[in-house]
Amino acid sequence: MEEEIIDDATEKSRPSELETLKAQCEEYLNGWKRAKADLANSKAEEGRRLTEFAKFVGEAVMKDLTAVLDSFALASAAIPETNEAKKGLLIIQAQLEEALKKHGLEKITANVGDDFDPSKHEAMALVDGEGKPPETIAQEIEKGYSLNGKVLKPARVIVTK
Amino acid sequence: MAKIIGIDLGTTNSAVAVMEAGAPRVLENAEGNRTTPSIVATSKAGERLAGLLAKRQSITNPHNTIFSVKRLIGRKFTDPEVQADKQWLPYEIKAASTGGIEVRIGETWHTPEEISAMILSKLKADAEAKLGEPVTEAVITVPAYFDDSQRQATKNAGEIAGLKVMRIINEPTAAALAYGMNKKKNEKIVVYDLGGGTFDVSVLEVGDDTVEVKATGGDTHLGGDDFDKRIIEHLVLEYKKTDGIDISKDALALQRLKEAAERAKHELSTSTETEINLPYITSDASGPRHFVLKFSRAKLESLVGDFVTKSVELTLKTVKDAGFAVGDINEIVMVGGQTRMPAVVEAVKKAFGKDPHQGINPDEVVAIGAAVQAGILQGDVKDILLLDVTPLSLGLETLGGVSTRIIEKNTTVPTAKTQVFSTAADNQTSVEIHILQGEREMAADNKTLGRFTLDGIPNAPRGTPQVEVTFDIDANGIVSVSAKDKQSGKSQSVKIEASTNLSKEEIERLKADAVAHAEEDKKKKEFVDVKNQAEHAVYSAEKALKEHGDKVPAEVKTTITEKIESLKTAQNGTDAAAMKAALDALSSEIQKIGQQYGQGTTPPPAGETPPAEEPKPNEPETPAQ
Repeated sequence: MEEEIIDDATEKSRPSELETLKAQCEEYLNGWKRAKADLANSKAEEGRRLTEFAKFVGEAVMKDLTAVLDSFALASAAIPETNEAKKGLLIIQAQLEEALKKHGLEKITANVGDDFDPSKHEAMALVDGEGKPPETIAQEIEKGYSLNGKVLKPARVIVTK
Repeated sequence: MAKIIGIDLGTTNSAVAVMEAGAPRVLENAEGNRTTPSIVATSKAGERLAGLLAKRQSITNPHNTIFSVKRLIGRKFTDPEVQADKQWLPYEIKAASTGGIEVRIGETWHTPEEISAMILSKLKADAEAKLGEPVTEAVITVPAYFDDSQRQATKNAGEIAGLKVMRIINEPTAAALAYGMNKKKNEKIVVYDLGGGTFDVSVLEVGDDTVEVKATGGDTHLGGDDFDKRIIEHLVLEYKKTDGIDISKDALALQRLKEAAERAKHELSTSTETEINLPYITSDASGPRHFVLKFSRAKLESLVGDFVTKSVELTLKTVKDAGFAVGDINEIVMVGGQTRMPAVVEAVKKAFGKDPHQGINPDEVVAIGAAVQAGILQGDVKDILLLDVTPLSLGLETLGGVSTRIIEKNTTVPTAKTQVFSTAADNQTSVEIHILQGEREMAADNKTLGRFTLDGIPNAPRGTPQVEVTFDIDANGIVSVSAKDKQSGKSQSVKIEASTNLSKEEIERLKADAVAHAEEDKKKKEFVDVKNQAEHAVYSAEKALKEHGDKVPAEVKTTITEKIESLKTAQNGTDAAAMKAALDALSSEIQKIGQQYGQGTTPPPAGETPPAEEPKPNEPETPAQ
């Protein structure tokens, strides 16, 4: 008698084959749905990523080239107006800027008196504002650039106290 | 189901990763970067800033810009480390009534937990923007040496940021997880983590279901920044020597030099010499001055050699502390950006006598490991149907004994692919499908999985019949191959069950074989390709002569016949170059008639390519017989 009762109990606690299969079926179906959804999602994501990628494919190159633009700016500031070669240099500078602009590179504005904005400016030093409002740009030391709206390099500025 | 994110909350930088379809992915922040500076600030206007923006304004606001808060979290104000850090941190800290620490931002005092929470909030918000869904749960990593109080404080920071912290795990454990080492039982692992500002060594032991930290060591003030400082000092000194100018006092020049030094350091990880060019770095009485200096990897290594030596000594000491001998260590994992430096890898390799793991981006490996842990907690491993890939390519034999691959290796299964082939001879009524597995170019070098013959193809010139061959691998790796003649509708198929019965070693050996023989196989295949082309050209030319011979002047006919004969002779030889020359000679001769006919409005005879081949010009035909 006793044995039978135990057997009965185990029989009940053990899920029937049908239940196991149903559960398995459910698990597999869900897994399949998930896999299909993952594929659809990853396709959509891949598309977005490709667009992003295409947009910023030149980012590293552009970033390196902005260093050249900086050097040009320093050079044209250092060469006196009387120097014959200066005009040519300025034209080359403009030519390079124009070429890069065509590929989405834009200068970030950082005019003296503008509010300092860390989303596009980087503070390099603080100066006494001499009456000017605080947290504004006192001087731009290096140009900033953005590529298709993304800040590649913030404009380096000196900020008023 | 919302995703659990993995967060590497670092001293200098933080990163976030998530499991997607069974694979970890690092999430970019709002600024489009894969790491976020662990910095927060309140601007004078009262605006809260975190990450890169906080960093950019730090100079205008040094007292309200908080960085390295990880050095303070969960500690007591009286801790010697805190007292030492207090000396150099530009912001104000004081003892809290509880014995902990408070940090001042503007007029208010915050606990380090609250500051960390501001960073975590930024990471959370950016992750949500990237994933397009709310994130409420996270796994956060902490250094292995963090005590209970520091772990609890980190957990609290997560809760303040609105994240349920599912687990706090050790950074070295995360790194090991990223490399899948949790599955390697009874292994002893050294994690060498040389970051920007800190150096951590951990010795781990993988048990049955646990990863135990046996010992930790390192130096809380040694990192890539120290390397940079050395380089800058050297460059300043060098410039003084060569140009007689001290630029260490010129803030802007120094900033440019600092960036150039960092760039040079990165470059020297892959090349042995670089040139630092900084035109118009400064000016003196004589006019503008430029900075041009060659910098070699050897020089870099001599500058920072003592740091590397020190780090290795600390590593060996930690191994000893763990009670192990160097020979006991099974794996070494490299973490932190500075481990990209070849000299660092070399030194570690020399110390342990084996190659350290460095395949995963060392800046991201901890976040990736945290995501892996999150995936395990989420049950991703069960949710995701684990899909296999075919370890070797499958294909069939085509004209000249070439192995033409249909399904490339590493294709995820189940999959199916179809390709159309044709006959190699006129009136060929059957094709043999010889199914091959392997990466070699020639059929004979690959493994035969099976063969069958499709017959009943109606009589037609070579290249005309279209035989559609389909390879199908189901989820269990069972390969079915079928061939169908499109015109007659006749089909034949075979099922191969044992295609994946190869052992892992065998697969590796086969792949290695393919690489080893790549050059020789390529030559063989090129030879067969030329031979096939030659055969084709002879066939076309003879056919053209037969059909249009009467319209061609006799002497042209003789020349062509001669060229055909010489190509036939070359074809039986083994000199691919001679065959190619004969082939070109015949082609140009044929082209001449083509031109003649072109001038005379009559359509040209069959040229080099019969029309039957046009739909798939690159498909070799199945062999005759």
